[in-house]
Amino acid sequence: MTHWVLIVDDEEMIRENLKAYLEDEGLPVMAFGSVTPALGWLGEGVRCPVCIMDMRLPDIDGNSAIRILHQLYPNMEFLIHTGSSSYSLPDDLRAIGLDDGRVYQKPLSDMAPLATAVRSLSSRENRS
Amino acid sequence: MATETVAGAAPDMNEWLTLLHITFWLLIPIVLITIASLLWSWLLRRRVAHRTRQLQRELSERQQAEAALRESEGRFRDVTEAASDWIWEMDENLRFTYLSERFYALTGIAPQHVLGRARWELAPVDLSSNPQKWRQHQEILKKRQPFRDFIYCASIGDRPGQGRYLKVSGKPIYDGQGRFIGYRGTGTDITEQVKAETALQESELRLRRIIDLVPHMIFAKDRNGHFLLANRAAAAAYGLTVEELVNRSQSVVHEIDEEAQRMLADDRQVIDSGASKMIAEESFTDHTGHVRIMQTIKIPFSEPSLNETAVLSVAIDITEQKQAKEEVARMRLYLKNIIDSMPSVLIGVDPWGYITVLNQPAEQACGASWEAAQGRFFGELFPQLENQFEQVRQAIRLGSPIKTPRMTLEDQGELHYADVMVYPLIADSASGAVIRVDDVTARVRIESMMVQTEKMLSVGGLAAGMAHEINNPLGAILQGSQNILRRIAPDMPQNRAVAEAIGIDLDRLNRYLEQRRVLHFLEGIREAGARAAKIVADMLSFSRRSESRFTPVDLEELLETVLRLAASDYDLKKKYDFKRITIQRDYDPALRIVYCDKTEIEQVILNLLKNAAQAMAEEGSSSPTITLCTCREPPYALIEVIDNGPGMDEKTLKRIFEPFFTTKEVGSGTGLGLSVSYFIVTEQHRGRLSVTSKPGQGACFSIRLPLGRET
Repeated sequence: MTHWVLIVDDEEMIRENLKAYLEDEGLPVMAFGSVTPALGWLGEGVRCPVCIMDMRLPDIDGNSAIRILHQLYPNMEFLIHTGSSSYSLPDDLRAIGLDDGRVYQKPLSDMAPLATAVRSLSSRENRS
Repeated sequence: MATETVAGAAPDMNEWLTLLHITFWLLIPIVLITIASLLWSWLLRRRVAHRTRQLQRELSERQQAEAALRESEGRFRDVTEAASDWIWEMDENLRFTYLSERFYALTGIAPQHVLGRARWELAPVDLSSNPQKWRQHQEILKKRQPFRDFIYCASIGDRPGQGRYLKVSGKPIYDGQGRFIGYRGTGTDITEQVKAETALQESELRLRRIIDLVPHMIFAKDRNGHFLLANRAAAAAYGLTVEELVNRSQSVVHEIDEEAQRMLADDRQVIDSGASKMIAEESFTDHTGHVRIMQTIKIPFSEPSLNETAVLSVAIDITEQKQAKEEVARMRLYLKNIIDSMPSVLIGVDPWGYITVLNQPAEQACGASWEAAQGRFFGELFPQLENQFEQVRQAIRLGSPIKTPRMTLEDQGELHYADVMVYPLIADSASGAVIRVDDVTARVRIESMMVQTEKMLSVGGLAAGMAHEINNPLGAILQGSQNILRRIAPDMPQNRAVAEAIGIDLDRLNRYLEQRRVLHFLEGIREAGARAAKIVADMLSFSRRSESRFTPVDLEELLETVLRLAASDYDLKKKYDFKRITIQRDYDPALRIVYCDKTEIEQVILNLLKNAAQAMAEEGSSSPTITLCTCREPPYALIEVIDNGPGMDEKTLKRIFEPFFTTKEVGSGTGLGLSVSYFIVTEQHRGRLSVTSKPGQGACFSIRLPLGRET
């Protein structure tokens, strides 16, 4: 079964560039511009161990989206990719295992570290 | 006698003849008798005459004797009457029987008050007040002894209060049979003398009281140092009474020999020269051992009762006065030190602008000493302040200070700012003003920097708002260019697969892209995007952040991380190699945990390390060294980054933390690095960032972070 990487970002070029890079790395990627369609896609029963989440989104903000997804899919790991300079992790997200290392500040001049992180989280899912 | 009888017996003429006849006969015998008797009588007369002469001689002798006696008596009387004495007599019962006339004249006491009475009956008051004296007197009288100069006070008559002082002498008298019949003697009224003596005594007593009242030491000494007189203050200084001190030698009563010797020498000088001497200051140790400072005046002193000249001294205790004077001098010096210690330039002027006081900074500012400047017009020495004269006059007139903030002054071509304050001085005797000049150049600079910082903060605020919007397109640019470069790379299998499928030779495509410099432009896009991202990130640093990112950080660990980061930051373009630099560590083992924003402080230190490395690389120092130093300096944790590079001049030092100030060539830095560091340390961490450096002597940046966690 395919281990998808989910990308939620409302900026199309960011979304596309991340998708392209990760796909070049051999990772299957599904990308959405908002949370709702992503939830719909996940509801189809796909296996998605890693999610790269933007914060400012048109329907639901990133933090809330992570909370919802974590509730629905407790094994899902999250990476945060935000353009907001003042972003800091809420305590409840820290409580579910997120830390400052999971936060990637836009713009990413090099996507390699993010790809490495995705790969490592994805393989963790595989081991479990 | 017979002739007288014959002449009487012839009354008638007839009878005369008969009678004559008869008588004739009768006469013969008679004649004879007469002759005889005449003879007898002559003889007798001669004898009588002789006798008479004898008697007369005796008489005249007696008369002469009597006259002599009378004369003698008269002379005696005259003497007694004229003398101040009188004569008295008393009977065997010791009651007055006689008083010469002078008694009344001298004493004014009528003799009838005295005669018939005993002496003690004349002096009831004296008797009761001085019975002992009277008992002795009565004893003498009882023994019939003579006495001399017995003095008593007689109070008789209608003026009992005003007795007369009498001095009497007497001796017993005896009659021819040697029987005691009383006393006789003389008396003198000595009332006036007694009164004069009493008055003299009183006057002396009064004088004594006065000199005893004087707090200064008054004393007279002879040339051997014996006290002839002293007042109470003088005696008290030796711990003695006046009676104890007088007639004693100073060498006996004065415990400090040296002082006694000195005083004796002074005394002798006065005695020998006959001139007075003023000793402005001399030490005198009193009996308690307390050293007093005396001011002494010595004058030659002669008294009829003294054979030789003595010296009279008045010594005034000026210890307190001197102490007060010294205190005033000390206070003046103290105040001078205080005004000298003030960093402000202080110029005291009178209402006409003439200098009265300068403090040390003012002396330095005008290059003249206080003494030299006194009395000169202040505008002459401080030409830049000359226009303050109007303020001086106004301040004195209004009685309130006048402030001129931010006056611009030029000093050796450099612009300075000064706050000038004119304070009116209102003293009892003189008015004037103090001009206070504070160089506020540094403050003005800091304030302008604060303004800059505020600007940066607003930039930061703006940047924070815009960050999302800018970062997304920047992300698209950066990530897009990364993807492009990746996807045209010939070695990537996916690329080869797609190229083969559409029949393109990737290697040839790459040669084309290289020849047409497309790859170069792409790299340029990427770099430009990265630089834009860096500027946005720097600008974002100017926003105040909450302390929620503050965590306890192991300082040593942090510094090691930064050193690793710096080592990997080898930058060909910036032409420095961190690995060439010797790193020395001097960590305080007592300082480990600091509460801070780890990434921010890492950024600050990394920035300092890079600057140091760059500066040393530019200079080309042979053995570049950076020393990292930590130590506890409560309330701060001190981190020092010390290099041995080229250092900085003062001009650069002053502006080094200003935003957009850079010494680097255009394009090699944003000019924000140190100002961001400054901002992070001072604003976000409430710490301090400072630098010391001199050209050619390296630089030392000191970061001070509060040790305690701020609430």
